[in-house]
Amino acid sequence: MQTEQSSSQLQTSSIKVDPVSVRLTILDMLYKGKASHLGSNMSAVEMLIAMFGSVDVTGIRDGTPDRSRIVVSKGHCAAATYATMFHFGIIPAELISTYHTNGSILAGHVSHAVLGVEHSTGALGHGIGVAVGCAVGLRSRGYNKSLVLTLLGDGEIQEGSVWEALMFAVHRKLSNFVALIDNNGISSITNTEKVIDMRPLTSRFAGFGLEVREVDGHDVGEIKAAIRELSGGSGPAVIVCNTIKGKGVRFAEGSAIWHYRSLSDELYAEARTSVLSGSKSTS
Amino acid sequence: MATHPDIFFLTADMGINLVEKFADTYPDRFLNVGIAEQNLVGISAGLANMGYRPFAYTISNFAVHRCFEQIRNEIGIHDYPIVLMGTSTGYDNAPLGPTHHIVDDWGSIKAIPEIDIYCPSSLAYAETLVDRLIEIGRPSYVRIPKGGFKTPSSTDHFVVSPGEKSEIALVSYGTPAQECLAAQEKDRSLSVIVINRLRPLEEEKILDVLARYKRIFVIEDHFPSSGLYGSLCEILVKHRRTFQIHSLGPRDYTLEVGTSNDFFHRKYEIDSESILQAARS
Repeated sequence: MQTEQSSSQLQTSSIKVDPVSVRLTILDMLYKGKASHLGSNMSAVEMLIAMFGSVDVTGIRDGTPDRSRIVVSKGHCAAATYATMFHFGIIPAELISTYHTNGSILAGHVSHAVLGVEHSTGALGHGIGVAVGCAVGLRSRGYNKSLVLTLLGDGEIQEGSVWEALMFAVHRKLSNFVALIDNNGISSITNTEKVIDMRPLTSRFAGFGLEVREVDGHDVGEIKAAIRELSGGSGPAVIVCNTIKGKGVRFAEGSAIWHYRSLSDELYAEARTSVLSGSKSTS
Repeated sequence: MATHPDIFFLTADMGINLVEKFADTYPDRFLNVGIAEQNLVGISAGLANMGYRPFAYTISNFAVHRCFEQIRNEIGIHDYPIVLMGTSTGYDNAPLGPTHHIVDDWGSIKAIPEIDIYCPSSLAYAETLVDRLIEIGRPSYVRIPKGGFKTPSSTDHFVVSPGEKSEIALVSYGTPAQECLAAQEKDRSLSVIVINRLRPLEEEKILDVLARYKRIFVIEDHFPSSGLYGSLCEILVKHRRTFQIHSLGPRDYTLEVGTSNDFFHRKYEIDSESILQAARS
């Protein structure tokens, strides 16, 4: 297990977390746990870094009542969520290393058994409603500096409950609420455009009355800037983050099957090489 | 809501001439989420995350079936102290057709172990229930029957209206409990046991009462297998007790139209006359 950073060292939002480190941690978790969902985990790395990097992670770690809430609605990117939380110092290395193993609390979908996870998800279209409830609650409690950030998949938004939540958030002008869409173009078994073509997504959300931005979902700075710009505006917002499913692992990029497969010894080595070489080419 | 600052009242656009007072008096703790039951439960869970005590209200069939996975995941798995309140039960909405016949609501909820289930059959019990729910802080479903009830006034989880003999006990809850009490008026030998809390049942106490009778009839406006009959059979087996126990209640959905619940009570033989006949057979 790669433990580039000490678990005891508290990270704050000002500390930079490297997507390559997070991806290597995810690969370790998936490989050791013989777990699936590689594609969806890799596409959301920068989004998760930007989300945790936009709030006070101390509050999340300590569970303070006025903390900002991060609700991972696409619960199957649990490995990416936990890896990101680990690199932000919210959860320790010894916990991360138990992912997807007997007796662990780290299942293949995010669980509130893990300190710092607001809500257990895994059934799609659930987290966003809870996130909206948190936004109402934060406002009602007078915690006006806190945000609710929620991460959804572009396949997930086919669930009707997503639009129930968005309609309500718009009606109540919940300006402390920002939903981020992992627009990787692939849902469970095929391309989202083949199942239900919702392009351009931005118009769909704008039509519902949301503030909308479209960003490169693999650019942490761009996502963070959008969160900063949109939070505290006149109403709720959606950031469409254009991503590549399996990002960083070349043999898995853009491929639906890596929603299901787990890594063999050879492919694990190849995936690590791919992530590291991607790091060199972009640095 | 005046004494409990954490109560949040939510409705899925139901309760005309009922919920307005909440909205007017406590606008900061009232939400009409619209006709969106999945969101009703989701938002309730978010509020519970924020330390509130949500009471989520709509018609029972919508409150349970439309958002069953949200109830399982958001309320059950998270063990949040959310109170789901469903109004209308059994054939309260008789002429509106089978989508509005509520004969499988609490049986569905019963499949989720964490959730307590109540069916207040008297005002006395109903009036104390909110305070109790606040105090115990558990996930709960409250099945609210319509109508003025003559159930013996009691705040106990079940109440006995004793007959003159210890031959037959009629066990019921909600609207059919009134049919049982009407049957008792015509035949004073019958005892009636009305259950206000359907889960958990006070097993030992109930078994002690039932043991006084030779025959027991369970009468309900809900499918018996997933209803009270099923629950009582389960505890009888669990406690290795053998009683002569019979079930009266609907077995299927129906497309037939009836203008009031009387029609369906007669159809499924849970009206007072059918109950008397069954008891005499």
